[in-house]
Amino acid sequence: MQRRNHSRQGFRGHWPAWIWKSAVAAAVLSIVVLGTTLRAEPRVAAPQVSPLVPTSDALETYGSSSAPITMVVFTDYQCPSCRVLYENTLRPMINDYVASGKVYLVHHFFPLPMHKYGYEAARWVDASARVGEFANAEAALYDNQDAWGASGDIAKYISAAMPASDFRKVETLMKGCSFSDQPGSCPLDQSINADQALGEQIPVRATPTYVIIYKGHRLPAASGAVSWPILKQFFDSLLSQ
Amino acid sequence: MDTLGAALNWLAEWGFIFVVAGAIAALCVRDPVKRRSLVRSLLIVGGIVLGSIFLAAAYGKLKPIPGFPWSWASMKTSIALFAIQVESYNLLSPGGANTVAHILPFAELFLGLWLISGVWRRYSSLLASLVFVGFMIAIYSAYRRGLKIDCGCGVGPPEEAGPAALLRDGMRFLLPALIVTTGAFWLRKQSSASPAAATPESASAVR
Repeated sequence: MQRRNHSRQGFRGHWPAWIWKSAVAAAVLSIVVLGTTLRAEPRVAAPQVSPLVPTSDALETYGSSSAPITMVVFTDYQCPSCRVLYENTLRPMINDYVASGKVYLVHHFFPLPMHKYGYEAARWVDASARVGEFANAEAALYDNQDAWGASGDIAKYISAAMPASDFRKVETLMKGCSFSDQPGSCPLDQSINADQALGEQIPVRATPTYVIIYKGHRLPAASGAVSWPILKQFFDSLLSQ
Repeated sequence: MDTLGAALNWLAEWGFIFVVAGAIAALCVRDPVKRRSLVRSLLIVGGIVLGSIFLAAAYGKLKPIPGFPWSWASMKTSIALFAIQVESYNLLSPGGANTVAHILPFAELFLGLWLISGVWRRYSSLLASLVFVGFMIAIYSAYRRGLKIDCGCGVGPPEEAGPAALLRDGMRFLLPALIVTTGAFWLRKQSSASPAAATPESASAVR
């Protein structure tokens, strides 16, 4: 009986319990730590990610960064819902609450692969933003979305939206960024891709997606169109707190 | 308040297991007296579970957004935020969405308390079933139109309107509501058929 017990105990019988328990715990811990370390090691360089709320010198923004409410919007210029959001909600908001310093509107590019000219449009707007014509370029593209969406002639509407001298600067920036180029091959693409990488983190599942931040408190992202009266009611409620 | 919300949320999310288990047990019992007794208990548990779903949903819609204390003003802000979610379904005009957003949380609060109270339970559970069917139709409609929106249910973590949300609502909300409704009407019918079988307790349970 004693021999059987001894054989059943096996190697454990020769060592105090705390030693083999510690050994097992150490082995499990090592596996976990090793696994985490190996998994955490990046295989490829992580893409650059835009800050959700950029500093005051950011190009694609409306209003003052000191406004109590910040609205961050991810859009695709060829997306019809984004046009509806811009025309029915963002435009009156820019004229009213952004102009009066209540809201800081931040734009991020999120061109969807399903839209043929979405990425190209983002390049044009990005280039326009670099010469201080972001608002005009964005308005022109949304106002004429059906036209350039069919023809692909984005330059026509961008040129009409700004002085000729600015458009020449935009064209210079767009040199080497032809439509046939793959996304990422043009110098302008870095900021678009950084916006997309940020969108993946949010995560953006559809455009338009927006995030509202009030006094540092970030609300969950929402997507789809929202009418200005409903959004205004929410902003008024926030501001009355 | 957060603990109460968490408890309600847990009951709303997992309470259906008790209701389904109780229904299976009631179906397995052959003795009519024991079955009636089991159904009475099931209705009490089911009423609490269904009530918790509505109270949790109301709590989720009325609770202040992060960083705000509980107050009437913060609840108004939460309602205004809920109006955005209602409007994202694209089923109602801005005015309609606003009206629904202002009424629904309080209607859910009322229905939750009604279900837990046990008063006219067959009608409260029938109404709960109809409300759940309405919610599921709205979610299905949003999914069919390709809208990628938060279902705005208020129970559990935010979930995109789609098959997963429909399955969750069907299993966790509609199924227990149908079980309680069926049980309440069955018990009422049993009590009417043989008044002797209806004890004073059962009478209050099926009122």
